[in-house]
Formats: sequence, C-alpha cells, structure tokens
Amino acid sequence: MIQVQNLSKSFQNIQAVNDISFTIKKGEIFGLLGPNGAGKSTTLNMMSTILTSDAGSIHIDGKNSFENSKECKHLIGVVPQEISLYEDLSAYQNLLFWGDLYGIPSKKLKEKIHSTLELIGLLDRKNDLIKTYSGGMKRRINIAAALLHNPKVLFMDEPTVGIDPQSRNHIFEVIETLNAQGMTIVYTTHYMEEVERLCDRIAIIDSGKIIAQGTQSQLQELVQTKESVQLEFEFLSENNVNQLRESLSYTMIQNNNKLLVESTIKELSKVITACNELQLSIKDIQLNKVNLEAIFLNLTGKQLRD
Amino acid sequence: MIITILKKDLRLYFSDKKGILVTFLLPIIMITLFAFAFGGVGKKKSAPKPLGVLVVDKDATTTSQELIAKLNAMQTIRLITSEEESALDLVRKGKNVAALVFEKGFADAVTAETDLPIELKYDAARELQMRIVHTVLKEGFKYHLGKRDVINTVKLKTTSLIKESSTKAHPGLVQAVGGTAIMMLLFSIAAIGGGLLDEKEAGTLKRLLIAPVKPLHILLAKMGTAMVVSILQLTAMFVFAWLAFGLPIFMDVFSLVLLILCISFAVSSFGVFLVSTVKTRQQLQGMSTIIIILMSAIGGSMIPISMMPAFMQKIAVISVNYWGIEGFFDIFWRQLPLIDILPKMGILLAIGLGMTMVSTLLFKKNIIAIE
Repeated sequence: MIQVQNLSKSFQNIQAVNDISFTIKKGEIFGLLGPNGAGKSTTLNMMSTILTSDAGSIHIDGKNSFENSKECKHLIGVVPQEISLYEDLSAYQNLLFWGDLYGIPSKKLKEKIHSTLELIGLLDRKNDLIKTYSGGMKRRINIAAALLHNPKVLFMDEPTVGIDPQSRNHIFEVIETLNAQGMTIVYTTHYMEEVERLCDRIAIIDSGKIIAQGTQSQLQELVQTKESVQLEFEFLSENNVNQLRESLSYTMIQNNNKLLVESTIKELSKVITACNELQLSIKDIQLNKVNLEAIFLNLTGKQLRD
Repeated sequence: MIITILKKDLRLYFSDKKGILVTFLLPIIMITLFAFAFGGVGKKKSAPKPLGVLVVDKDATTTSQELIAKLNAMQTIRLITSEEESALDLVRKGKNVAALVFEKGFADAVTAETDLPIELKYDAARELQMRIVHTVLKEGFKYHLGKRDVINTVKLKTTSLIKESSTKAHPGLVQAVGGTAIMMLLFSIAAIGGGLLDEKEAGTLKRLLIAPVKPLHILLAKMGTAMVVSILQLTAMFVFAWLAFGLPIFMDVFSLVLLILCISFAVSSFGVFLVSTVKTRQQLQGMSTIIIILMSAIGGSMIPISMMPAFMQKIAVISVNYWGIEGFFDIFWRQLPLIDILPKMGILLAIGLGMTMVSTLLFKKNIIAIE
C-alpha cells in the first residue's frame, strides 16, 4: 500500500529524517514509535504531501506522492497532532466544511457525517460548538474530519495526546473498527503501550533513523534477555554502576538514580545482594517483561520519553 | 517582593522588541510628523516651498504683466500663468489652491483708481492654504500698487469654485469620514488577516494544506473575506455619516460604490500583505500598529494632506489612505465625473494587485512553510 524509500529531510543544519525506508501492507496498522523529535511527524508530513523531501520517494497505492500529490490527497486521511478544528463552529459545521473541501456531493457528505459521528459516538452532540467539548471528544472529531472522503489510508499523528484513559480506549476502538473495515493505518506515538495494543508492525525511529522494524515478536528477538529488573535508588553514582558491573555480568543502563538490569527475575537476589554490599539504598524495584520500551532502551540507550 | 515582581515585569517588557518599538519608536515618529505639519519644524533652516497659484491674465497689459512679475518675486507664492479654462479645471480638481484672474480693464482701473477687476477663485477644501494665499496677495497688491490700501479700498474678490450647497458635503466632513473610515478599516483588516496566523497556530491551516486545496486559494479566500468585511464596514460608515451628519452619499452612488470596491481591494490586499510578512500573531500586532498609524498619518487620515509640508505630501502618495481620501473629495466635494476619478481608482487597484502578488510569494515562505 505504501512504499517509503531512502527518504531524507533536513531543516537548516538539522537532519530530521535520515535515509529511512519501510513498506506498509494493505489493511495493516503500522506504528512509528519514537521519542519527541525523533522525526515521526516530519515523516508523516512528507507522507501527507505537505512537505517535500530532500531525497527519496513515497508511493501510496502505486502513486508517487510528490509527483501526484493531488491524487494522493484523496487517498489519504490525516489526523494531525493538533486539534485542527474551528472551536466556534459546531462539530457538524466543522465536518461539513472539511468534507466539502474534498468535493463530496452534499447529500453523500451529510450521510457520511451521520455515519462517522455514529462511529465516534458523538451523534447526539453534533450541534454543540467544539469549544464546549472535552479534550477526548475534540480528539474524536479530529479523527472524524479525516474520514469523510473515505480514505484508503489513515495517518494518525499522536492522536491520543493529553486525553483521559476512557477517551483513549474509545479512540482505540474506533481505530480497530476502521482497520476491521479494511483501512490501512499509520500510527505515530511515543506511547509504547498504544503501539503494543494496536500495531501489526512497528518501526522504531530515533534521531531521524529507523533503528529497527518488524512485528512485536520480531523486535523482541533483538533483545537477548526477555526480562529485566528496574531499581530505583536514593542516590546512584556512575562509580556505583561501574562497581556493580564488576560484580555482576548483566547489561545495565543507568538513568539518573534508576538502573535497568537485564537479568531474569530468578536472579534478582544476586542483584540485591550486590547492591547491599555497596550499601546502596533501594527505593523501588520493578520487574519487567521485555516490551517496546525495553527494546528502545536496549537499542538506543535512551528511554522513549527522555 | 514588589521590587522582585517589578524587576521581572520590566525584564519581560524589555525582552519584547516589538513592544518597545510601539512604545518608543512609534510616538517619536508621530511627534516628528505632527511637528512638521503643525510645529513649523524645518522652516527655520530653509524657506517653505511656495504655494502654486495659477494666474490668468485676460488684461495682458504692461501693468498687469509687471504686477504679476512683482507678485511672483514674493517667496510664499509661485504664480503659474495659465488659460482660464484649464486654470479653473485644475483648481476644481484640487491640483492647485487658487487661480488669480486679471479681468480686461485692469490697467485702466489702476490708472483711474477705481475698483480693480481681479478675482481669486479657490478650492475651499484647502482653506488653510487659501488663507495664506489671500493674505499674501493682498499685501502684495498694497505694496506694489503704491499707496493703495488694498485691505480697505481694493476689493480682492474671492470666489469658491465649489460652492457648499445642500447637495454637497463640507470638506471637513469628507476629510473626517473618509480619513477615519480608511484608517479604522486598515485595523479591522489587519485583524482579519491575522486569522491566517491563528489558523497556523491552531493547526487548521495544516489541515487545509493536507486537503486538496491550493495554497493560493487559501490566501485568496482570506482576502475575499477581508474584502467583504471592508465593503460592509465602509458602507456602514458612510450610511452613518449620511444619517448623522447629512453626508450626501446618493450624490454619485455609482462612483462611490466603485471607489468603495477599489479601496476594499487595496486595503484587503494590504491586510494579507501584512500577515504574509510575519510568522506569529505577536509580530503582526506590533508591526501592523506601527505601519497603519504611520500610513494613516502620512496618507492624510489624521492630518489633511494640504496642511503637510511639501515633502510629506510627496510621500503621501505611497499610502492607500491618500488615494482613498482624494477619491472621496472628488466625489463629495469636487463633484468630478467618474472619468476624472478613475485614475485614482486605478492606482488603488494597482496597489492592491502589487501587494497581492508580493503576498503570494511571502505567504509560501512565511505562512505555509511546514517544519
């Protein structure tokens, strides 16, 4: 459905996207996971045809998006990160406006607005002004505005930022419904739980480069240890970590007073003993099964939300 | 505690360069402009440019020609010989303040010491300049015609070429309504243009760009909105001036409508131009205040053009205000036919077109650039 090949983009001296390539199959939910500033939005802006690339190409449904941007605009729906709606118009008026821009005949558009509002669960609030909506409701209308022209692909740029868990779940259900109807979805986020729940395949992006991509299980294979222990200390110096490394053979990643130790839970007692020998005061212990956060940490040495 | 908060506020205030410009530079510019207009600044070092007065010598005798030469030697006025028809036409069109007409028999009247057949035909819209010309000419006659006491015995007949009547507006009213209407319109339109920046900040502009809409169409749509509001605002102001002050807006409705359309186009394009030169609302606020007040001051919205020094009158032509106000004078005061007002409308359209073209380029660079 989408082929991105050797895509690069820089702004002044900053290389925002650096020679990335990936393919998205028809009907899958593809996640672009990375911390803020990793290059996710820049990639999505290029895929949305509003930003040109310095190098590389994007093909959507076989069409080069840079050469056929007008056609591609009809193939894609974009849910921007910002609530891109007119606050002083009602939800219905907003949707009528955004749908009209795609040249949808009036009757068909009104029917589509009705079914879309039904899908996102806001049909009964359609005549209320957007400014009276909660953050979660605005996010849902933000999604609805991208669906009116029946796009084949939906690009979603961090669509759950700043909303409560209930609204987030509602949005997940909408995404799953759309996907079940055959829509291809590209989903960017820095919340690994969202990617884990929704995405069939994932590309992990950092500093403009894709550092790993595949299904969740393929990504897990990249990490040797499937479990880890996260310890939080009252105080942890670099010297302490070096001393621990000398006594334990596990991979350790320090983040201020926290330490991620790639050991199994069975070996936890060894870790605690080593800490006690160094008279390190442990505040908290978390046992982790390997997840995308751990994979990201393992691959980059950074946390997703650094 | 008070000092701490005060220091913080001052630090924030002085970090806003645009705010500082509005606070200090704008008043300095305004003081300078008003000082030139009212304060006699610049008059000490060099003599002011003499006022051009047309002279029609129908007597064509040695006496009349000698007097014209002597009057022309005075520093305050400059006599320009002309045929009567074209002289009166130029005064009617506001090009010159007055025409001094020497009727046949002037020389005989001087010899016979009877009433002098001379007449000063003037544009009452330029009252201040007319007063200067009248005083200077009377003094000139008194001095050059020997012992004659012009003030008491010689009648220097004065005639306004454009008479105030029930069908005409007072020039002061035209100045007040036209000048204020255009200045206030500029502020409204800058605010509407600023809507583009609001859309950029809110993200709706990005969504518009994602949709199959050409960037130029977004710009033109915003300009169209500004134009509709301009037309409504100007119309409302003139209807109010008609109802409240009796401005005869139905005198030449067709010309008035055309002029309103031309001004609206020029002002709308100016609004879009302003927005295209900046990147944020804050930048727009500072810049638009400075430019609009400056343009209104030099363009005649605050001070009538005729009261400004010559160099400022030359600068005035760069402003939309100048051409709009002059157009209103042509309609309401000079009562010129449409054909004579068309050049001013053409200039307004040209200003609008020029600014629209520049805005299109800047819009792509400053407003729709996505990062």
